[in-house]
This record gives sequence, structure tokens and C-alpha cells, in this order.
Amino acid sequence: MARTAEVVIIGGGIHGCSIAYHLAKCGVKNVLVVEKGFLASGGTGRSAAGFRHQFGTEVNIRLAAASIKKLERLAEELDYPYGIELFQGGYLMLAYSASQLEQLRKNASLQNRLVNAGTLILSPREIAELLPGLNLEGVVGGSFNPRDGHANPFHVTYAYARAARRLGVEIQTYTEVVEILHSTSRVLGVRTSRGEVIYAPVVVNAAGPHGGVVARMVGVDVPLYPERHQILVTEPVEMFIPCMVISFTHGTYFKQTPHGSILMGVGDPAGEVKDFNQRSSWQFLVDVATKMTFHLPALRRARVIRQWAGLYDMTPDSQAILGPVPGLDGFYLDIGWSGHGFQLGPIVGQIMAEMITGQEPAVDVSYFSIERFKTGQLIPEPACV
Amino acid sequence: MKREVRFAEIAVVGGGPAGLCAALEAARAGARVVLLDRQDHLGGQLIKQTHRFFGSKSHRASQRGFKIAEALTREVASHPAVEVHTGATVFGFYEDGVLGVEQKGRVFYLKPARVIVATGAAERTLAFPNNDLPGIYGAGAVQTLVNVYGILPGRRVLMVGAGNIGVIVSYQLLQAGMEVAAIVEAAPVIGAYWVHAAKVRRAGVPIYTSHTIKEAYGKREVEGAVIWQLDGDGKPIPGTEKDLAVDTICLSVGLSPLIELLAQAGCRLAYVPELGGHVPLRDENLQTTVPGVYVAGDAAGVEEASAAMMEGALAGLHAAYSLGYGQQDYEARRAAIREQLEALRSGPVGEKIRRGLSKAIIQL
Repeated sequence: MARTAEVVIIGGGIHGCSIAYHLAKCGVKNVLVVEKGFLASGGTGRSAAGFRHQFGTEVNIRLAAASIKKLERLAEELDYPYGIELFQGGYLMLAYSASQLEQLRKNASLQNRLVNAGTLILSPREIAELLPGLNLEGVVGGSFNPRDGHANPFHVTYAYARAARRLGVEIQTYTEVVEILHSTSRVLGVRTSRGEVIYAPVVVNAAGPHGGVVARMVGVDVPLYPERHQILVTEPVEMFIPCMVISFTHGTYFKQTPHGSILMGVGDPAGEVKDFNQRSSWQFLVDVATKMTFHLPALRRARVIRQWAGLYDMTPDSQAILGPVPGLDGFYLDIGWSGHGFQLGPIVGQIMAEMITGQEPAVDVSYFSIERFKTGQLIPEPACV
Repeated sequence: MKREVRFAEIAVVGGGPAGLCAALEAARAGARVVLLDRQDHLGGQLIKQTHRFFGSKSHRASQRGFKIAEALTREVASHPAVEVHTGATVFGFYEDGVLGVEQKGRVFYLKPARVIVATGAAERTLAFPNNDLPGIYGAGAVQTLVNVYGILPGRRVLMVGAGNIGVIVSYQLLQAGMEVAAIVEAAPVIGAYWVHAAKVRRAGVPIYTSHTIKEAYGKREVEGAVIWQLDGDGKPIPGTEKDLAVDTICLSVGLSPLIELLAQAGCRLAYVPELGGHVPLRDENLQTTVPGVYVAGDAAGVEEASAAMMEGALAGLHAAYSLGYGQQDYEARRAAIREQLEALRSGPVGEKIRRGLSKAIIQL
């Protein structure tokens, strides 16, 4: 059985669904999304789903500003009746040393200069006013942007998927791409686990941590590796964390969802497995409980509901790999987001659609080209866990 | 919290009939056992079972459930190789085979060489309007209230489900002084043993087969229920509604195996309706597809307490044997337990279970 599509997108996370929607909105007919699990079953649905202007490199700052603008009116734009649980209570980045505060100051001035972000530098006293439940021990200051926040990653993905379907996009879940058909110079289509061959001039790799596996199907090596990260969630408690919080010193981040649960994660790249294992570890439970009760002593009495794991798609500079692959026409990459992919999905979907349809991208993302690994000119993103 | 792990030879999760027998059998073979139960007492659901058991003498027949629990608990408590932890909830089965245990507000981690999961089953519920009104209980919960705590849930009850539990609990509620307005059963036949059903019928309780509950009503708590008849396809027949003034509705609509820990452990599961839902695939010794992880009792498939005890014994025996204990007596002991188990499951009563087991038992 054989059929055709204009574009096949591999991966039904926020990026795959956002690309599909934006392509259809640009008038591309016959777009197919192939997802091996259910929508948002990978990194998207497993993330804490924060969004923030507060990055340290120009490209990410510009992307974040544009993405947050889209998130602010996303439910409306996509006519999504359930809402995306958008919570713009701000994002607080804690500094525990003078050099850290200096870096946050530098990042903030870059953010404010480039996109008029409105990021503030707060003193410990101002942080105490903002978040009275926080243990200030060791805190020398922080940066805060009141328009940052968090959302529900499932709703955001479903919102794009619904809107995409309305525009004629087909989404196949529980279907895996097992082969990418290609010649020496271009992609020709895909073969799926349903036994179906879909001929297509464009194939997009938005497979998250599986992006390396997918790229190897066409003989393209990307420096991408999966890295497990884990999250813990508590029972719902009275609202006392009005903003998302991150500490690079402790590798911790946390938020309180609209219904009161507290989500908390610890980035522990040294201790975490670098493969596709998504199971939970008890060591994480011990770590996160120790660190979280340090940050928020009131949590000592909160009960844990569950913990889970997800995979970051890490690259050497913690930056994405985006755009066409020279020498292989029709093959596009949207992978390697290294833990901050959810929040940039809305704007990156648009940019990918612009690239595929030959338009000028809304934000200059040329840095993200796979070519940078040949020249070795890497600019790591400093603001991630 | 500390990053400390205790090692153990065999951990048994759940101190009901299956877990108690697993612990005893393994300890008798010479293994050291840690038995964990989240309740403050051992015995599981046996402690509320005041009726006499069926079967032969070796299955503790004609004994009452709570007496069996007392006897097994005594044996376990007096066995030097069994370490009992009550009030201890196993909350996680981690990637490296470590169990997370919460006991009275403290957490510890246990890494056993073998794990026997005997977590039992949970009561199912039904979807109908106002099913969240106070006064609506699971039959097991009512049995606990009445038989363990001596509390009557109300004055007049509608029982939904005419399986053994529904009918036995109805009779016990009559004995305790409640009025049973009716028993409804969606199937066209009564599922319970006739001896139990006959008792409630003699007491004047109507049993409506091919009937179900349509809705409950009441302002702040249950004031009544509407039942109606089902046609041959299980669809309700409008116009057959009966209104029953009751203050209690008791749901006895089956149990689902509690397999969460086994799923976390990575055991392969299969959906087997005859066994109550998703159950782990396992071999004749109750070992799952994860080496060293066993299942026994209702967690392996909803059956009844006598079979659970035999399964527990088989799992405990093999777990100990696989660690080098009880090598001499193993074959004889195994044959004896299996013979008893087969006897329990023989005949027309065991037909459904046998069919279910044929889908769940595999060669490892």
C-alpha cells in the first residue's frame, strides 16, 4: 500500500504538532504526523512546562519572547475550548553567589535590550516578599520576569493537534516510523509500523530524544543523546508558590499547578542515565525531598503523589539542532532542545513551517544549523538545568 | 532522608492469606523473610470474614476467616525467620529492584533478592447518577464496618450484585439487624453459591436477576434508589423502574487485582476478564516475567482465600528454593501444594478460573 503526503512529521509532541498546525495554516495540504505513542507522551508531557524570557543567548531570548506572546493568546488563536492552564505568575531565578548574580544581571540586560523583556533583578528582601515560603539561606539575589510562567503541556499540544486536524492534518498515533526512504541526495518518504509507505518530499525529524535514531535512518549523525530527568508531584496544597522558581546551584526547579499540586525536579546530569530508560529511581526521591524541603520548609509535611521520568534531548552546547540538512534535500531537523523545548515549541513550529515553505523565518535561527558542529563554534546556553 | 538500602532475602508485600502463607512457607524452608503490610494488623480481608470456609480439612474448611487470620498471624509472629512490619506501605518498585517503604511517617528502602507481591484486589464501583452520595459503599467496606468495627452503615440497604460477596454480606447485614430491601443482579442468574442465596431468600429478601441500579437519590445522603430491568442484551427496559426507600446502597460488583507494583517492576501484564482484569503473566511457580518477582493471591487473579493461601505457599516455596533453601523437600512439598490447589479449582465451580489461568500462565 502506498500513498503520498506533502510533509511527514515524525513526533507528536509540542514541536511536531506545532509544525503541523503552522504548515497547514500556511496552506500546505496533506500533512501527516506520525507518533509512536500518544500525543505528548514523550518529553513534552513529562516536562514541568515552564516558560521564560530568561535565557542567556540572543537566539533563545528572541524565540522565548515570540513564543510567550503566542502562548498568551494560544487558546484563543487555536479556538481551544478547554484552556491551556496558562499561569503567568513569573519565573524567579535564584543566585547563591556573586558570580551567579552577575550572570543573571548580564542575561537580564540582554533580555531587556533585545526584546524589552521587563526582567528585574531582585534583592533577597524583595524575593522574601514575593515568595514568603522560600528559605533565603545563601540567596544573594535573583532575576524575575513577571510575564514568565507555566502551562499544561498536554493542553498546549492537544490545542495544536486539534487545530491542525481541523485544517486537514492527519495524525497517526501508536505508529512508528521504521524506515526513511531516501536517495543519496534527498528524502523520498517513510515506512511506518503499520506497514504503510508514505511518499513525501519533506520529512521532519521532531522525535525529541529519539531524534538521533531517526537521523541515523538517513545516515545523518547528530551529536544528540538522551538524558533522564525526573519530577516529583505532591498532593494539592494551599497556593503559596506564586511563580516558577529555579536554582542553578541546586539544579532544582519547582512550580505549583493551578489545582495546588507542587511539581519539582532536580537536574543531575552527573548521576542520571544517558539512555532511553524512563523509569524512576528512589535516589531521586531522596534527593528531591532533601532539596525541596531545604527551599520550602513548609513542604516537610506535604505528601507525595507520584514521581516520573522523562528524557532531555541533549546536545554538546545545550542548544537545538534546527533546519535543513545540507546534502539531503527535504530532511529537516527540529531536535536537541536540551530541556527547554516545550516553551519554544509554539514559535519554532512557525519557524519550521516558514523554512519548509521557503519564507524568511520570523527569528534568525541560523546558529542552530547542524553545520556548527563541523566548525566547532559552539555558544552554550548558560541558563538551563 | 538517607540514601541507605537494607538488604533482604525475601520480601513479601501484603499480609493477607496469600502473603502470610508465602512468608510461612519460605521461612519454613529456611529463608529469611520480611513481611510488609500497610494495615496495622495482618490477615488482610480475612479478618472481616465471619463465615465458615468451604473445602476439605487441609484448606482449613469449616473455619471462619478471621480465625484463620488469627492462626496464621500467630504462626508468622512466632517464626524467628519472619520479620513483620505492619503499618508499612510499599509505595514504589524501583528500577534497581529496590522497594520504597513508608512506615508510620518514616521511609526506608529495601532491596530483596526475591519479592512476592500479594497485594490483593480493590473493589470496583459502578457509574450511575448520584453514586457519590454518602451512604453508598463497597460491600467489602461494609463488611469491615460491621464485622471488624461493629458499626451498622444504616437501617435499610439495597445490595447491588448477587455474587458470593454480595449475598454473604446481605445475610450478615440481616444478622446484624439491617433490613435488606433487595439484591439486584445484572446477570440473568445468581452468581453466589446456592447455599448462601437460599439463606437470604428464606429470610424474605427478593433477588432481582437481570436488574441493575438506575440511580440513587437524596439531598445530603442516600434516601432511595431506583432499579430497573435489563433485556437480553443488557440494555435497561424503560417502564420497569422500581423505587426502593433505602438509606444505604452496597456495591458488590467485583474486584480488580492490585497490580501497580508489578507494573512498576516491569512485569508483562495481560488482560484476563476471568481473573478480574490486568494480571501479570507468570509460570507455574507464580514467578512473573521479571526474574525473582512473584505474585500470589488476588493480585494474580481474583479468586478466593483458600486458593490465595495455596498460591502464596507455592510462591514462597519456590522463592526460597531458588535461593538454595529447602532443596530436599522441595519436590514433595511442591507436589502436595499443587495437588490441593488443583482440587480447589476442579469441577464446574472452577471452570472460569481455569479458563483465566490458561491465559495467564506461561512457560518462562
